[in-house]
Order: sequence, then C-alpha cells, then structure tokens
Amino acid sequence: MKFIWIILVVLTLFAFLLGYLHLISYSLVGILLVSTFIKGHLVIDYFMGLKNVSLSYRLIPTLWLLLMVVMIGVAYYLPISA
Amino acid sequence: MTKKIEQKRPYPPGDFGIWLIVYMELITFGLLFMGYAFSRRGDVELFNQSQLLLDQRLGFINTLILITSSYFVVKALESIKLLDREKASALASKWLLRAMSLGGVFLIIKIVEFSGKYVQGISLSTNTFFMFYILLTAFHFLHVILGIVILFNIRKKTKLGEYSAQNHVGMETGATYWHLVDLLWIVLFPLIYIIR
Repeated sequence: MKFIWIILVVLTLFAFLLGYLHLISYSLVGILLVSTFIKGHLVIDYFMGLKNVSLSYRLIPTLWLLLMVVMIGVAYYLPISA
Repeated sequence: MTKKIEQKRPYPPGDFGIWLIVYMELITFGLLFMGYAFSRRGDVELFNQSQLLLDQRLGFINTLILITSSYFVVKALESIKLLDREKASALASKWLLRAMSLGGVFLIIKIVEFSGKYVQGISLSTNTFFMFYILLTAFHFLHVILGIVILFNIRKKTKLGEYSAQNHVGMETGATYWHLVDLLWIVLFPLIYIIR
C-alpha cells in the first residue's frame, strides 16, 4: 500500500510542477487528466478497497471518474465558436 | 512457489448506506465540476487571469495532506485486522489520530487561503471563477470537517475496543467517507488550480 501512496505523491508533484513552473500547455492538459484518472483510480481500487469487490460496485465510482476526466477534457479542447 | 488467491467480496467495504451517500456526493460534486469546466469556456481569459491569484503551493500541500491522511486511514484498517486485539486497537487508534491531525492541518491551510482571498477583497460575487472556486472549496471544506468528526468517533470506538479483526464494519464505513473526501480533492486540485 505504501507503493500506491508513493505513486500518488509523485503524480501530485507532477501536476503541481506543471502549474507552478508554468509548463502547462494545450497538449499537457491531456496528460494531466490521464494522471488525474490514474490517481483517482488508485484511491478507488486500493484505498476504498473496491479492487476485490463485485465489478458493478467497482465500476460506479470508476465510471464517474472517467466521465469527469473526459468531460473536463471535452470542455477544454472543444473549439469555442466566436 | 505459491500463488495468493484473492477472493472477490460481493459487497463493498462498510455499511451499504455510506455507498449511497458516496454516490450522491459524486453526483453533486460532478455537477459542480462540470459547471466550472463549461463555464470556463464562456470567458477563458477571465478564468486564467483569476487563477493566477491562487497559491498553487497551498493546493499542492493540501493534496499531499489528504493523500497521506487517506493512507493513514488505510493503515488503521490494516492494524485493526491484527489478531492481538489490544495491540490492534492501540495501533489503529494511533493511525486514526495521525489521519485526523492531517485533516486539521488541511483545514488550517484552507482557512489561511480563504482569509488571504478575503483580504484581497475576493468574494463569491467577484467573478464566475471565484464563485466556483469558493463554492467548490468551501463545500469540500465542510466535507473535511464532517470527515474529521467521523474519524474522531471511530477512533473513540477503536479505543474502547469496539472493533476487532472480525468486526470492523463501522471503521470501514468511516474510512470510505474519508477516502471520498480525498477522491473529490484529487479531481478538484488540477481542475481549479492547474488547468489553464
């Protein structure tokens, strides 16, 4: 479980450095969203303990997380009409 | 070499009622996240300029705090499953105290952040970005307070020896709520503080 915590810390540091060092760009937002999904998924599976429960219970928060990440991406990348 | 076989549990950890609360919270926060993401499209420049007034370092520290606190709650649950009941309760109680303390630090940092914005004259009516920023983070703040109260109660029961390796559903229920608070912040942090 410590390994999961370390991954979460590293991905959080990655997100912070993107913002703090003004490295965040149009394409990196996609990567940031993928890393957000990985972090959330790790919390759902390992911290919430849903990895070893019936798939339907595991899927509900995972699909919510996927929907969030995809919709944030859509809102970001969809061209804005003038 | 032996292979560890993990059996699937039919139901998630904790009381079923907590999962209904989790789903409702996910929907509520989900709508707010979408509201922010799509409102941003209405005035990208305003959102980007306003975001520069946030202290990303505080958001980063608070993310680390919640992740670590969540990990401590996992350690508490691991500890309560030890066979020596007295040792299990003492250890779990220690981990819960650490988790609660970190929750307290999160609140202090958030208060510092909120008061900084107040001094700058920023309020809900400043602009759409700050309306969402205050609404989302203050709503989450209330969840952290509730989470700490829940952790306090399960720690009290842990100290009284009410949980054991065989019976710790109450602790799992409280832990689930605390992980939810963590999960919500994991989405909130990049959305509000980083993406521009």
